[in-house]
Amino acid sequence: MTRIGFRLALAYRSNIIMTCVTLVAQVFLLRMIWTSVYGSRPSAAGLSLEALLAYLTLANLQSFATHTLVSRIMHHRIRTGMVFFDLARPVGYLRQMAAFQVGNTAGGLLLLAPVIPVVLLVGSITVPVNGFGYVLTFALGYVIAVQLALLISLIGFWTMETGAISLLYRLVSQFFAGTMVPLAFFPGFLGVLAEILPFKYMGYVPAAIYVGHITDISGPVLVELAWVAGLWGLLALTWSRAHRRVVIQGG
Amino acid sequence: MAEILRSLRLYVLLQRASARGAMQYRLNTVIGILSGAVWQGTGFAFIWVVMHTFPSLAGWGLAEIAFLYGLRLTAHALAMIPMMSVNDIQWVVRDGEFDRFLLRPLNPLVQLMGNRMGIAQFGDLLVGVALLVVAGQNAQVRWSVPLIAYCLVSVVGGALIEAAFFLALCSLALRMIDTFALRVFVDDVFSKFGSYPMKIFGGTVEWLLTFVLPVAFVAYVPSSILLGKLGNAWALAAPLLGVILIALAYLIWRRQLDHYQSVGH
Repeated sequence: MTRIGFRLALAYRSNIIMTCVTLVAQVFLLRMIWTSVYGSRPSAAGLSLEALLAYLTLANLQSFATHTLVSRIMHHRIRTGMVFFDLARPVGYLRQMAAFQVGNTAGGLLLLAPVIPVVLLVGSITVPVNGFGYVLTFALGYVIAVQLALLISLIGFWTMETGAISLLYRLVSQFFAGTMVPLAFFPGFLGVLAEILPFKYMGYVPAAIYVGHITDISGPVLVELAWVAGLWGLLALTWSRAHRRVVIQGG
Repeated sequence: MAEILRSLRLYVLLQRASARGAMQYRLNTVIGILSGAVWQGTGFAFIWVVMHTFPSLAGWGLAEIAFLYGLRLTAHALAMIPMMSVNDIQWVVRDGEFDRFLLRPLNPLVQLMGNRMGIAQFGDLLVGVALLVVAGQNAQVRWSVPLIAYCLVSVVGGALIEAAFFLALCSLALRMIDTFALRVFVDDVFSKFGSYPMKIFGGTVEWLLTFVLPVAFVAYVPSSILLGKLGNAWALAAPLLGVILIALAYLIWRRQLDHYQSVGH
């Protein structure tokens, strides 16, 4: 399954290349906007412009890496009834899908590799303040991202249609992950909401640790582990209900 | 003239049919419009959050940026609602369906445009018009009848500029040149870069966005004039450019059409 996901990423090369081009455009745009609003201010909300640009570059690369194709695949296979073949395999359904996503991410990263220097050039990057903390929190953040994508996709066993929900989920999660604005800038109620939601672990938290905006990693790591465990339980529960509801379309 | 009116009448009939088709899946249509609106909504939420901390972006306030954003979005929606189904052209050509269009006594472009309706673009229109109205009241503009008229004209002009690039790129599909990726890119540049004051890009990029891919003329130039940031001398440049470019795009389309070879079915 991992290998299929990997190959699929390579098969849709032009798709990925387009994503890379828009990624570069996005990073460039963000750089220009933030440079302009900072003007001659040395720092705002505890972030210097230099740290902020590094943050944004990183957060956008991360959002590319945490993009979960698996919900589209699951949606398609539930719609067409092909999900039958997945269920017939002797390996757990969710495990197959998670493996697929991991392979797909690996393939996407491989294609992304040559673009990274361009992105870094267009954006800007600094030396990591806490490299280990970054890798750890981002890896856990990735697990949360995959779990959430699986959870959203499981809704398809009830509703058959998750296309629109996944799109809305992606837009909202990207926004609250702080891909374009660090959470430190979110005002009032929006800031509280962003703090509570788990999306910040896919973008803001790792990137903020990288640039040294967050120094103590023990707190975030503990909360992340709690999220992973909680989502794990929720997934198991949802799945035990969902697979009893399986309807094979056109079967 | 009679020919154009006849095409227009048939186009409206075709679009009405595709609207009826879309309404067969009512929930899907509603969700489609909603997702268009949310997409644009999060785009604007970004600006709003940034400007909460920083009150000015290259000398533009929040209401002014919102106005610029709304103007661009409305122009984009007006361009894409009728043009959306032209996006399918490479499939229409590849499946040989285009041959059928050529046999019918109606301009093939009009037929292509009437094929399917842009649904999510109605969400864009909703957000765009709402922003334009709200921001128009909050920004320091002394609205008068000529000014409102100019605003409407410039929205149409902006829509024509965007539609022109879209049409020109689409027409290459008639000769089996796949421009889908390029179209996505151009659309991305229009929507990402068009909603900000060009000044922030500075130097080369500002020049490129003004004279090579005239993103600046879609919304930046007209809203600069409406907000009193730019002299009136430029006022007619944007709508005029729209008319010129759409005429050019149509010429390109006609030229590609002359060279059309069926895939042979």
